[in-house]
Amino acid sequence: MIESQNHSPFRIEPAEPGRFVLKGSLNAHVPSKVWDVFSKFPRGQVRLDLASISSLDLNGAAQLLWLRERLRRRGVAAEFTDPPGNLIPIWRLAVDTLGPPADPPPRPHFFERMGRIHSEVWADFLSMAAFLGELLSHLLGFLVRPWRLRWADTFFLIEQAVIDALPVTALVAFLVGLILAFQSAMFMRLFGVDIFVADLVGLALIRELGTLLTAIVLTGRSGSAFSAELGAMKANQEIDAFVTMGLSPSRDLVLPRVMALTMATPFLTILANFAGLLGGNVVMVTLGHPIIVFWEELSGHIDLSDVMTGLFKAFVFGFTVATIGCQRGLAAGNGPTAVGQATTHGVVTNIIVLAVLDSLFAILFYVANW
Amino acid sequence: MDLETKIHYPLVVTGLEVGYPDAPPLLTNVSFSVAEGEIFGLLGPSGCGKSTLLRHLVGLEPAKTGKIELFGQNLWAHDGAYLDRIRRKFGVMYQGGALFGDLNLIDNVSLPLIEFTDLPQGAIKAAAQLKLALVGLTGFEYYLPASLSGGMQKRAAIARALALEPGLLFLDEPSAGLDPVTSSELDNLIMTLARNLSLSFVIVTHELHSIMATLDRAILLDKGKKGIAAMGTPHFLAHESDSPEAAIFFRREESLLAPGKNK
Repeated sequence: MIESQNHSPFRIEPAEPGRFVLKGSLNAHVPSKVWDVFSKFPRGQVRLDLASISSLDLNGAAQLLWLRERLRRRGVAAEFTDPPGNLIPIWRLAVDTLGPPADPPPRPHFFERMGRIHSEVWADFLSMAAFLGELLSHLLGFLVRPWRLRWADTFFLIEQAVIDALPVTALVAFLVGLILAFQSAMFMRLFGVDIFVADLVGLALIRELGTLLTAIVLTGRSGSAFSAELGAMKANQEIDAFVTMGLSPSRDLVLPRVMALTMATPFLTILANFAGLLGGNVVMVTLGHPIIVFWEELSGHIDLSDVMTGLFKAFVFGFTVATIGCQRGLAAGNGPTAVGQATTHGVVTNIIVLAVLDSLFAILFYVANW
Repeated sequence: MDLETKIHYPLVVTGLEVGYPDAPPLLTNVSFSVAEGEIFGLLGPSGCGKSTLLRHLVGLEPAKTGKIELFGQNLWAHDGAYLDRIRRKFGVMYQGGALFGDLNLIDNVSLPLIEFTDLPQGAIKAAAQLKLALVGLTGFEYYLPASLSGGMQKRAAIARALALEPGLLFLDEPSAGLDPVTSSELDNLIMTLARNLSLSFVIVTHELHSIMATLDRAILLDKGKKGIAAMGTPHFLAHESDSPEAAIFFRREESLLAPGKNK
């Protein structure tokens, strides 16, 4: 601390048995191995003479007090003689201030932790259900009085969440179509049935992949953005301000977001399907099939029900992505880490729910023979 | 002896132009020095450039012209490792505390010690605990910052700024948002640290009580003048300075504190 004093390196010199003289500057930059002298000290008493140290700061004093405590636990009583006069205030300050070592709170028992996790998951489920209920009541309100929706916000969100997502969705879908066609064509060609690549790509994209891809892109782009936005608003007490003004966050903040994604996801899905088919088409053309053959083959095997099932799923997925994203944001705790956690939770929950929903739809459509 | 004089002024600022690049300067020709163990105040109304000046002083924003010497070294002479080395010699307490939210208090304070020293783990814990005890946070070592009040977070931030035992501490509005009792406790803490550890402080503050009670000297910055309007002890600024800005600043603050106002 007092830099003008000399900077001789710190050392510990044994004097008579049981007494050590400490010399030099004792601060945070002391190498830790100097304290090893005491690691094998037998039980009994040790005197540490501080009268010759040239400078001392709080980090230095803390090391001495830590040493005393460590020796005490091994049954060695350490005693210090006072440092030089100008260092006594710092030394006294440290001795008087530092209490017994603070131990971390004990880790809860296994069953306690399991119980906590269980109750948290249950509370989470309940809050999700309550949120969904509130949202559905607002949706009913929207059906009765559609002019009450914040249309300006909704259109802005459609632009932000969907129109701006066009390039990335189209690119991903195009490449997936391309890869799918390429991988299957290599194999089907062996049997001379590479014409059916068109059906494979078409069915896979229109019934499953186009929708799922779009939903996953929206989860990453918009669902996470909703979680982060609403989470930051929560941390900033903006949500509290909303409530105390008599406004409803779920009606005025969540509903426009949910409406925007629900209405716009089917359109984005149609575009993703076209981009994917285009990717498949490129492969077919390079394999020597004219463009018309690809579309002819496709129109023979894909009907309106395939397209409609895909779009119905898109509609549901859009709703899911926005709802979960918003709920996670509103359920965020305080502080910047909470926003990050809320966003991660939102994305993870969304991906799991999308996968489960997609499987349920697959079973449902199979049973209903759509 | 020459070395001695240098070391007795941990901070020397000469002819500094305060402002962001591509914008007109907020303040020009700012010069002052802070002596060892001195509690120095940066005063001024909102928007006068105090925070920007502080950003220059702590090495976050390069100054346009002028020189900042910390412990005899020119702050902006080089960047990279040189700047980092100087930065380790002072501590900063930001207005909101800026504690790391996912670390408990003892880990917040231990972090610089773990990164920059070779001390045994137990000694680091003891040092961190000592700093926390010094700011009156014994018993809160394993709490997360979010679960503490604003005043406690600020005190913890001072403890973290003290971790590497700097010679100079910058405090950005330490008493903002604190109740009078907590605020005066913080003032006492600052004075204790300055006296016992010969720590120098540079404090940005508005609080008249704190200004009168703690500061040894201060500069009053002014937007209109684009520079230092007055410099001196708080008593001088409040009662003897002929600067109209000082008169306005202190009279306004005093009229708020005048007895019988809120009957």
